[in-house]
Amino acid sequence: MNTSNPSSTLASSGLPPGAVPRPRRTPAGAGTFLKWAAVAILAALVAAPLLVNERFFLTVAVMVLINAIAAASLHLIIRIGHVSLAHAAFMGLGAYASVLTVMKLGLPFGVGVIAAFLCPAALALAIGPLVLRLTGKYFVLVTFLFGEIVRMVFVEWKGLTGGGNGIFGVPPPSPAFLDPRAFYYLSLGFAVVIIGFIARILTSEIGRAMDSIREGERLAECSGVPVLRFKVLVFVLGCGLAGIAGALQGHFVRYIDPTSFSMIQSLNLVVMNVIGGMYTLVGPMIGTIFLVVLPELLRGYVELQRVFFGIILIVVMAFLPGGLADAGKRVATLAEKRFGARSRP
Amino acid sequence: MFSTTVLAQVVVNGIGLSATYILVALGFTLLFGIMRVVNFAHGAFAMLGGYALYYVYGSFGVPYIIAAPLAALLVATVALVLERLVYRFFYQKMFQSMIGLLGLDMAIMFTAVMVWDSHERSIPPTVSDILQIGGVIVPADKLIISGVAGAALLAFYLFTKFSRYGLAMRAAAQDMEIAEAQGVNTVMIYRLAFFIAIFMAALAGGFYGQTYALSPMMGERPLMMAFIVVILGGMGSIPGAALGGILLGFADSFLATFYGGSVSVFLSFGVVILLLIFRPWGLMGTPES
Repeated sequence: MNTSNPSSTLASSGLPPGAVPRPRRTPAGAGTFLKWAAVAILAALVAAPLLVNERFFLTVAVMVLINAIAAASLHLIIRIGHVSLAHAAFMGLGAYASVLTVMKLGLPFGVGVIAAFLCPAALALAIGPLVLRLTGKYFVLVTFLFGEIVRMVFVEWKGLTGGGNGIFGVPPPSPAFLDPRAFYYLSLGFAVVIIGFIARILTSEIGRAMDSIREGERLAECSGVPVLRFKVLVFVLGCGLAGIAGALQGHFVRYIDPTSFSMIQSLNLVVMNVIGGMYTLVGPMIGTIFLVVLPELLRGYVELQRVFFGIILIVVMAFLPGGLADAGKRVATLAEKRFGARSRP
Repeated sequence: MFSTTVLAQVVVNGIGLSATYILVALGFTLLFGIMRVVNFAHGAFAMLGGYALYYVYGSFGVPYIIAAPLAALLVATVALVLERLVYRFFYQKMFQSMIGLLGLDMAIMFTAVMVWDSHERSIPPTVSDILQIGGVIVPADKLIISGVAGAALLAFYLFTKFSRYGLAMRAAAQDMEIAEAQGVNTVMIYRLAFFIAIFMAALAGGFYGQTYALSPMMGERPLMMAFIVVILGGMGSIPGAALGGILLGFADSFLATFYGGSVSVFLSFGVVILLLIFRPWGLMGTPES
């Protein structure tokens, strides 16, 4: 994606391309504000089911949380400059891995989740070193085809996956989680841990190295960042975490089939990232809420909202390649430019 | 298993498949080669072509030889509106175009679901005769499809090779800036290339809808095939699209006959992924610097 990269991304990396990652202190004000905002949102999320104990609300909330995990895990991959259209396939792999572990082997849910992480991660590790050498458009095409292959395996391997009919009667993690409120807290726990983990990675030195890889791969390499190894690491991690999201979905909906993990779902995950903004973790969170809640409100108009999303995608891509979150940032950059460029090493 | 009659059958099928694949892929590669746009909405236009044929040929009963090009012409003309509204913003922006046009694909597809609902329809076959030439059984309508597709490809070839506009288009594909400096009206050339690309996709879509079934989701397979053909031949390369189409058409016909449809799809996807990894510019493309 080196040449076709949206040009506005320099602002988000906060680093000149390819510089050796160095810790950069965020202004204290911004840091504490973010911290308090995170605490407030978390408190609201914990308290929400106590205030509104309604099945519909809780179901939507759980779907938001699960999708947020998936979108955040895709965000990790997007941050190294690769847009994967196979992410739902990895999610599906996790779902099948967990469901089959629990149903066929009779192992507990915890083991299922571990399998849901390891299976897609292993596959990502196998193909990563090959596909991550490709630049932007070729990577998109390969993952597009790869996702279809995985989906076809789900359909064709009838003995194991139940073919196109899918698997019915998936057990919940434990009988207690039949209550949507319990499941809400379970997925909230997963979401907080996983998204917190991703946020931590992105703000660490690894995160800065990732940004430098996206902004200028050659330069990053010259500056001593082991580019391919980093990319594979991030890809494996992202796919593994997507697998966990898939497992949660499988055990929550209690039914899995190949179509839930098709291109459309991959595309949805990309849309979540694109709408919110591709180069900040807040982006996919905004996008997820948008994409999961809106359809619930527009129920009965399923086609119309798809058309609507399509148009949003066109508009955002044509005019705001950095997404909604980036629009504000761009204004900030402009202001910064006006008041003297940042000193560069 | 490999008797001559069966093999001849495979060859005849291969010709028909190749012709449709090349039609879809040529438009795709044209858009990429000239405008640097990855047209993820290509399958949607093929689908619209199918519905246009359904009405023009199936409902109004226009003779097939006229109906097929007319339907495609209709779709391409309407698509010019989208050229102005959507495509123009994505020219020379490869990455943005990919995701933006995925959005367009989704929008067109679900608009079609709203208009025609999602159940499958069928376009009446052209003729139901079956010809037998020396033991080889050839459904006559396949022959007609191959004929129309072949004529369209020939017209395209003659156009790009011998006409002034074709020359301008090739020049624009090779080097935009130089072509502009030589007085080529690029806006016009873009529109022309877009029109031709959509025309061919819609024509192929009509054949697709006729051979398989017509539904708003049917665009996915032609799109996939266009991908594979174009990657095989090299993105943006016109002879590459022809070569890729022939390779895939015959491979598909051969494998599907002897080993079943899913083996054929798996194998062609697998080969393409390997090719992308080791020679991403395809068989006849040129590597980017």
